[in-house]
Amino acid sequence: MAENPETDDTIETTKQNQSEEEVEHSDEQKQEDELRSLLLSDIGDLPLSPPSATQVNFVSYFITDFTKPGHDQYIYRHANGLCVIGLAPTHIAFKDEGGITNIDFNVGKSDRSVLKVSGKRKKNAMRSESNTALCKVSTAKDSYIVRCCVKGSLLEVNERLIKQPQLLNSSADREGYIAIIMPTRPADWTKNKESLITLEEYKAKKEVSL
Amino acid sequence: MSDESKPASGDSSGLLNGLLTGGAQKPQRVNEAARSLHPNAVKDLLSLGVCERCILRLITVTTFDSDLATVSSSTLRGWLGSGFEEAASPEPSICIVCLGVLQFVFYDAKQTLVKMKSDCGSDHAAWITDLVKQQGHEFDSFGLEVSLPSTISENERAVFIYLFFFFFGLNVDVCTIGVGYTLKESIATKLGCRVKKVSVKDALKVLVLDPLRASLVRAKSDSSSFHIRLTYSKASDDAQGVSETTHERKKRKTDEENGSSCISENPFEKVYEPCILSVHCNQMPIFFSGRYFKYSRNVSQSRWIIDDERMGEASVEEIIGGSILPACLGDSYKFHAAGREDIDVRMLGSGRPFLIEVQNSRKCPSQQSLTEIEEKINNSEKKLVGVKDLKFIGSECWAMMREGEAEKQKQYAALVWISRPLEEKDCNSISSMIELKILQNTPIRVLHRRSPLERERTIHWMKVEKIKGNAHYFLLHLCTQAGTYIKEFVHGDLGRTTPSMGSILGCRAEIIQLDVTDVKMGDS
Repeated sequence: MAENPETDDTIETTKQNQSEEEVEHSDEQKQEDELRSLLLSDIGDLPLSPPSATQVNFVSYFITDFTKPGHDQYIYRHANGLCVIGLAPTHIAFKDEGGITNIDFNVGKSDRSVLKVSGKRKKNAMRSESNTALCKVSTAKDSYIVRCCVKGSLLEVNERLIKQPQLLNSSADREGYIAIIMPTRPADWTKNKESLITLEEYKAKKEVSL
Repeated sequence: MSDESKPASGDSSGLLNGLLTGGAQKPQRVNEAARSLHPNAVKDLLSLGVCERCILRLITVTTFDSDLATVSSSTLRGWLGSGFEEAASPEPSICIVCLGVLQFVFYDAKQTLVKMKSDCGSDHAAWITDLVKQQGHEFDSFGLEVSLPSTISENERAVFIYLFFFFFGLNVDVCTIGVGYTLKESIATKLGCRVKKVSVKDALKVLVLDPLRASLVRAKSDSSSFHIRLTYSKASDDAQGVSETTHERKKRKTDEENGSSCISENPFEKVYEPCILSVHCNQMPIFFSGRYFKYSRNVSQSRWIIDDERMGEASVEEIIGGSILPACLGDSYKFHAAGREDIDVRMLGSGRPFLIEVQNSRKCPSQQSLTEIEEKINNSEKKLVGVKDLKFIGSECWAMMREGEAEKQKQYAALVWISRPLEEKDCNSISSMIELKILQNTPIRVLHRRSPLERERTIHWMKVEKIKGNAHYFLLHLCTQAGTYIKEFVHGDLGRTTPSMGSILGCRAEIIQLDVTDVKMGDS
């Protein structure tokens, strides 16, 4: 029985390569399986409705009847000090039929929507006091001035509202935010805080469930 | 064999006593040196308090090198004549130029006076060797650095000026010497020799380097990552020797320009205290590379402390660096990683490349000990961090970190919640999005320290993995361009990132947790 040793060898080596590949493949498979088990093991009980990113990362404050009755606004303060300003659900603008139809950032001395803040040091940001006018929202009936409520630098205003003012009606507490302000000094914020109320106090005051 | 030849200057002077034996070249060069000396100038300098080595260094024809270094003080005085030997004081004073550096007289770290035999540099080298060995470094080559007080160069300049007036008289106008002649050149012409100045640093190295090499290393090599630094510093703050204050120096400069001469009025003060010598060894930083895994959602990447309170339970930097540092017997470490992740994001999959830089290590751990360190971290009780492929790496480490930085792609797995139940068509629409371009405004959570910019990023692909029994949650696998904020892509960051998961699915979306599953670098 003449067996050709060369072909035998090649058959052997290809078999070896194949099994090597298989081993490699199963190694990879093993790694992937390990990864999957890690990924899934961490999923504990899943609540029906988890807290939103805003609720987790921000502390909510409110100010009611600011300079005029019914002018209620929220201030969401992030752990890094930045404050997101917007209309609270009980703002009288929402009571008008048809809701808010227009927003205009051109109030006071300049158009807030054209400011261009640049760089880490936030150059060219407009300095605001708590009663500096931020914008004007209009409904079919009337128009209302929205103010900064926080002393600091105005970093940005929500330009999307200009084209989509209905965001204020649908989600004033998220996509309908109005501006982001950075308090310049910790002392300024501590002083500001005195005139603000917490979420609990707000709920109690307005007897609204949010 | 003594050679009795008269010096070229013609003045009567002594014999060349105590001529050293050695190679044929040596005596010749020493002869040359002896002949070139101007005895009166040398006598003057000696009486002022300049040491013999400085004299040989400053005003001889031949360069001060190892041959001249072995000429002892008695030999030098012998060359000058019999009358002068008696004047030599039994206790040689500290040189006013080199402040004792070339005489091997100094204070050690404990402020004790040390005096070495000054015939050659071996004793001094032995003293230095002891201190180097105490610091415990392992090395096979070294570079020698010397740091001297700045007053030494001022002293030298003052001596040259003194010589200048010695030869040319007190009232000569600087300008008559000749346009463009420097001080040294003028003296050189008068002495009839080439005044080539060898600095104190170079002279010290000449004296000490070879014996040091002999006692410390086997291989002879100059450029090195290990340095021995000899630092000489002034013992006290008082002006010593011939050094001038800045005010005096400025006055002198203007006086020279005006042509007047008043420097020779300055007496050369005696030096009472030598310098303090400290020996310090430093090794250039060494690097280790590897990949790390982060299994905990309460561990930050680097040490994070706010108001004296640590954020998180531990840090990857401290766990890895703190294990490597003792093995190297180093002073400190620095941690560099190819990118970073939040404290609540796990790093899984193939791990993230990192570098540990160790400053002033005393020894380099073997691959064996590195493997042991790796195992120790991986098998620790609290499985917070894992390490893979820990190894020593050379100067190519930075290239490795930069590799593929622009093309780096990252893969993630995010647990996403949506406000309405997931449908089959959602899975299909998500999987069909390839190379999706998104615009991200700087997320609010980093807006306080980063520029407000709009950044365009690409989501290369996405895949939905359903979770059994729950239609509101799913696992989103995605592969994105480096620099993409994943959390903001999912929840939309108040509409500042578009499109977002929420806007794609037409509902509210929140991210519950995030894991990094792959960091693709140039290599696998």
